[in-house]
Amino acid sequence: MLKLREVVAAYGPIVALHGVSLEVPEGSIVTVLGANGAGKSTTLRAISGLLRPREGSIEFEGQRIDRLSAEQIVSLGMSHIPEGRQLFSELTVLENLRLGAYSRFAGMASGIREYRQRRRDFEAALKQVLEYFPILAERKNQVAGTLSGGEQQMLAMGRGLMARPRLLLLDEPSMGLAPMVTREIFEIIHTINRTQGVTILLVEQNANLALEIAHYGYVLETGRIALADTSENLRKSEAVQRSYLGQ
Amino acid sequence: MDEFLQQVVTGLATGSVYGLLALAIVLIYRTTNVLNFAQGEMAMFTTFVAWTVLQRGEYWLMFPLVLLMAAAMGGFIELVIIRRVEGAPVLNIIIVTLGLFAILNNVATWRWGGIPKGFPAPPEIQVTGVKFFGEGALDIGPTVVSYHDLTILVFAVAIMAALYLFFQYTPLGLAMRATAQNPIASRLMGIRVGRMLAVGWALSATVGAVAGLLIAPLILLQPPMMMGVLLYAFAAAVLGGLDSPVGAIVGGLIIGVSENLVGTYTPKEWLGPDMKLTVTLLIIVVVLLIRPTGIFGRRALRRV
Repeated sequence: MLKLREVVAAYGPIVALHGVSLEVPEGSIVTVLGANGAGKSTTLRAISGLLRPREGSIEFEGQRIDRLSAEQIVSLGMSHIPEGRQLFSELTVLENLRLGAYSRFAGMASGIREYRQRRRDFEAALKQVLEYFPILAERKNQVAGTLSGGEQQMLAMGRGLMARPRLLLLDEPSMGLAPMVTREIFEIIHTINRTQGVTILLVEQNANLALEIAHYGYVLETGRIALADTSENLRKSEAVQRSYLGQ
Repeated sequence: MDEFLQQVVTGLATGSVYGLLALAIVLIYRTTNVLNFAQGEMAMFTTFVAWTVLQRGEYWLMFPLVLLMAAAMGGFIELVIIRRVEGAPVLNIIIVTLGLFAILNNVATWRWGGIPKGFPAPPEIQVTGVKFFGEGALDIGPTVVSYHDLTILVFAVAIMAALYLFFQYTPLGLAMRATAQNPIASRLMGIRVGRMLAVGWALSATVGAVAGLLIAPLILLQPPMMMGVLLYAFAAAVLGGLDSPVGAIVGGLIIGVSENLVGTYTPKEWLGPDMKLTVTLLIIVVVLLIRPTGIFGRRALRRV
């Protein structure tokens, strides 16, 4: 579904990715592990179009996307839930969710029928998101900035799902959350993948949890892929245990 | 008492014009983080265009036409000029808007000359026997209000209401608010941020154009006509809180009223009409000392 080949990406003169290649098969959960500054977030930014790769190619469902803008890429069926959530903190929960669906409804409806169809689509997507995250229904009219950390992460994910993506890029969903909340979020990620068949590329510091739900994993070290294997094998690997699983 | 009310109403009317121009400034500041020093000159320029159109056409035909032209001009300025300096240091952008100020001012002087021209107030419309706009004054019991002052107030309220509905209830308005808050997240939602900025400038230029059309009958049409108004508008925007549209209008009204009252009621020997600008700005300084983000401003102005 997603293929990166020798992707080089940089912030000005600082090269963050030195030729990263990875693959995400359809229907799977793939995780990218690595220390701070290894280039995990940069990888996601390059995929979603926030950062234009300097070299290499990125293919999504057989189509080259490395020269497209972030605005175009989201409408192809890929949602990026960025590091630090990046909510619209002064807008309400419902407004955030509405914006999540923006890419599907950009531009004027061409008639009353299309308008109604869009409404139905939106309501259906909203209903589904609120089923995953019932707390968001209760907080519907609350300003996003006043939510707790866990609720904010749920809103960020809900907003991403409103675009009905086939591929979800998730950047550190556990950041700053209590272990209980993190576990809940990971269960939901697992459910989204299983029941809806949404493919997930998950960047995570919490290697234990990530390898528990992922099918496949990559280890990123200073902008290069150091290891790539099934989660099972990665969990057994001595190098991973030493550096990332704290054993 | 009657005179006091009279002064308040007149102050509210001129204050609405300051408020409208302040609103135009805030609309751009919120989305682009640019303080547009050319805002007044843009309004002056569109008012001159309106004057030219009026040589041949009806007022109420000219009105929507000039608003459309103003929107086009605002969008054009963003796309062609401001976009080139996007992300540049704040000072660069300020210099660019000052350059725009000079260009518009010079072109207007070159094209239309420096001699002040009279500009008509919106002419009368009769709707089922009720008179709107036009000459004369309306007796509302304790005081008398000129129709033009009423017109200004009505326009200010209507524009505020329209903008509120637009930002609160349309997808485009929501996308623009999102862009103002978090451009990166907006891009991830599929919002074309650049387009939103151009729309913001277009909206702002339109609101400014209305301010120009409404103030011109009171102060005569000439290239430097908006300088004083712009100063008040900036003061109003800062007073209200630079990122708050409601604050802009409220700030404008406060300044309009206090300017009028200071001009009328303070004794000539030590303050009087000559000092009304000073006193008004002094009030603003005091307010900002107490509330640095302005009356309605929520965020600290960290991006400037």
